[in-house]
Amino acid sequence: MREFTLKSVAKVKQPFNKIWFVIGGLLITTIIFAQFIPFTPSSYRLSELGVIFKRLFVPYGVRTWNDYFGYFKEMQTPLIESIQISLGGTIIGSVLAFPVAFLSAHNVIKNKFISVPIKLIMNLVRSIPMIILAVLATFMVGTGVLSGIVAITLFSFGIMAKMLYEAIETVDMSPFEALESSGANKLVAFNYAIFSQIKPIYLGYVIYVFEINVRSSAVLGYVGAGGIGQVISDNILYNYNKVGVAIITIFITVIVVQIFSNWTRRKLK
Amino acid sequence: MYGKQPKRWIINTIFVVLLIVVIIFTFSGSTIKLTRLKNLDYTLGDMFRRIIKIQWDFFFGVGDYQFSQGIVHLVLETFAIGFLGTLFGAILAIPFGFLGAESLVGKKVAKISEVILLIIRVFPEIILAIILVKGFGMNAFSGMLTIGLHSIGMLGKLFSEAIDNMDKSPFEALDSVGANVWQKIRYGVLPNILPDLSSITLYRLDINVRAVSILGLVSAGGIGSILTIASSMWSWELLGTILLAVIIMVMLVDFISSSLRKKLV
Repeated sequence: MREFTLKSVAKVKQPFNKIWFVIGGLLITTIIFAQFIPFTPSSYRLSELGVIFKRLFVPYGVRTWNDYFGYFKEMQTPLIESIQISLGGTIIGSVLAFPVAFLSAHNVIKNKFISVPIKLIMNLVRSIPMIILAVLATFMVGTGVLSGIVAITLFSFGIMAKMLYEAIETVDMSPFEALESSGANKLVAFNYAIFSQIKPIYLGYVIYVFEINVRSSAVLGYVGAGGIGQVISDNILYNYNKVGVAIITIFITVIVVQIFSNWTRRKLK
Repeated sequence: MYGKQPKRWIINTIFVVLLIVVIIFTFSGSTIKLTRLKNLDYTLGDMFRRIIKIQWDFFFGVGDYQFSQGIVHLVLETFAIGFLGTLFGAILAIPFGFLGAESLVGKKVAKISEVILLIIRVFPEIILAIILVKGFGMNAFSGMLTIGLHSIGMLGKLFSEAIDNMDKSPFEALDSVGANVWQKIRYGVLPNILPDLSSITLYRLDINVRAVSILGLVSAGGIGSILTIASSMWSWELLGTILLAVIIMVMLVDFISSSLRKKLV
């Protein structure tokens, strides 16, 4: 490495730039894991992409533009189902997460034997990707809207519980301790001291989780848990126009929810 | 101030009423059979017992199965798709990040790139996967492209926010001593944003690896492909095996991602 001679006659060596380690590590990991991904340019049929786009969004075969716009009317029931799933699941999961987060925050319940196992179970539930939860839910209660609600509830419960207990643990404890020392029991103290500090954070998280859950509605339906996604999986083999209409519906719904959540988040600040 | 605030109990009642309305709305409609909850298709105990019975042969791909059919292999493939896809997306998102930073390019260009990124972000991954599978075949490469393209949208937005919030003073200082463009970027901009960008990318890696399981449903590779089989066979044991592998992988990636991110701060 280059050496510099300072005015005070001391010599300074430029230290080895650690970025090379990072780049090297990235390269090695990339090469190792690229073994799992086949790269065969000869088998690619890129023209298919254009054909699919046309088939999705332009009426083909015997269908007319009237038919195409008529499909939007068929989207009503699945759309309502999807909203039922996302909204209901988020709210129920968030409400259920509250007592569990309360029990696992180590500044509220000093007993580690309770808080640690609960945190462990929460981490477990959180690690399960949404789609596996959806399949699990269909095993439990059969296919249909109910399994969607169960899946979203479990998923929201996992995320909210963790975020909540982190929020509870970083809250200012002095009002809580003051209330406890003047004789209030833990629940009452929690309600007035901690809950009031958490409320805006809690609402922000609920909206964030709701946003995520609305985006999952496409996937849920695909495994049979109801909603717009089911339109996609039912029609993917023969009627691309319906699939295209479903895609546009999902698109609009997610954008609307995004705008709503941005607006609410700005209001909360 | 106290006089102007609405009474607390009014707000509380409104909230409770809203909650009840939402719950009623959720469970209305003829398509939901709540009775299913009372007699779950299997009892909870039976479910638990079955899901615990893990098929170790299948897990490791020994015995009757080849390694390439085993779950461990699929999990590695899942991680490969997630990792390479995120890397691909991150590299392509950097120019979008610069284009979206208001302080660098001005409001109009930033607005346009914000809208483009929004469209890419909102497009449901599963649909993108279906389209790419038709174009590139039912293999892991389509999966990697889906994750990559989707990540460009997500990462581009976060990158542009990070670049906006970057401390401009080293950049200006270098400018005033006469550095040329490359020197300004190399010594002024990069050391500032690389930790932020890497932290954002690691966060996205965590999320993306979970999302890869979805891709397998449409044959784009990864653990999702056996998920369809398990789902159609209604096999709790197979689901339990898959669940174990996925939980381990997600926890590992989560651990690596958060410990690396702590080092970057």
